[in-house]
Amino acid sequence: MATTTNTLLLESTDLFDDSLSISNTSTCYKAGTTIGLDQTTGLTRTYVTATTQFDPFPVVKGTTNANENGKVYIANLSEDETEFITVGIGDLVIGKLYAGDFMWMPWSPKAQHVNDIEITPSVATGMNIEFMSIHNFANIYPNSADS
Amino acid sequence: MATINATINVTSTDLTSSPLTLSKTMTMTKAGTKTGLEFTSGLVTRKLTSVTQIDLVPTGAQVYGTPTVNAADGSTVSAGKLYIKNTGSSSVDFVTIGLGDATGGEELDDGSSQITLGKLYGGEWMLIPYHGLANVGDVLAKPSTAEPMTIEWMLFFE
Repeated sequence: MATTTNTLLLESTDLFDDSLSISNTSTCYKAGTTIGLDQTTGLTRTYVTATTQFDPFPVVKGTTNANENGKVYIANLSEDETEFITVGIGDLVIGKLYAGDFMWMPWSPKAQHVNDIEITPSVATGMNIEFMSIHNFANIYPNSADS
Repeated sequence: MATINATINVTSTDLTSSPLTLSKTMTMTKAGTKTGLEFTSGLVTRKLTSVTQIDLVPTGAQVYGTPTVNAADGSTVSAGKLYIKNTGSSSVDFVTIGLGDATGGEELDDGSSQITLGKLYGGEWMLIPYHGLANVGDVLAKPSTAEPMTIEWMLFFE
């Protein structure tokens, strides 16, 4: 097992009359346990030069591991505020990450194509994107065939 | 406008052979601009006591305002952010967070269904972009137990 902690700080001094300060720390565990997630895709940084949708974590389900669980981190590293990536899951859009935005969410892929994560850049002029999954899934293949 | 900062830190000394340290801060801005988001739902607390799925964050006009949506035709765009936390401490009980049409079928992959994002166990949180389109933008929550479970959420929008 491994111990991976994730912390979020949400802060603002002018959203309200009073300050906003939210802090959370949790540990990435296998489902239903206090055993740490022990696999990762690694933190990938990629320079995308097309507006073609791609799948950063292709899933080929079939075999399953016990207590499957996963976390997903995606960030748009662009510095041009007009550039964004559209992040989807399966056939639905989660939302748009504009320059500098990140997201962190739990992920429970069920079957190939059904709830794969999908990323679509808004421009073909080049944009840096980071992504990583921490998980204990049996089948995530970075180069597997997918749609 | 307001300045709302979100910082994530992910660390591990033993997930990989070399330590993992990831830290990133974002300032929440309106779509395509450097102007800060200025509206919020406030930090909402919901106590759930059944395994029935609920529409945790409905789209459209709400008591806290009407978030701008990412229209399919691009006529309006938004860069809303949604924070959700399971405030419990159980490593067994969880809330399943989904997206899509609250009245639609599940995992149909047909553009009109609900899609499961994942499960939040006790103490876990998530921060995702929010597009707010009617029906397909609903954020759904389904507890794994009828034992009381408290979920917090907060929407930042324009």
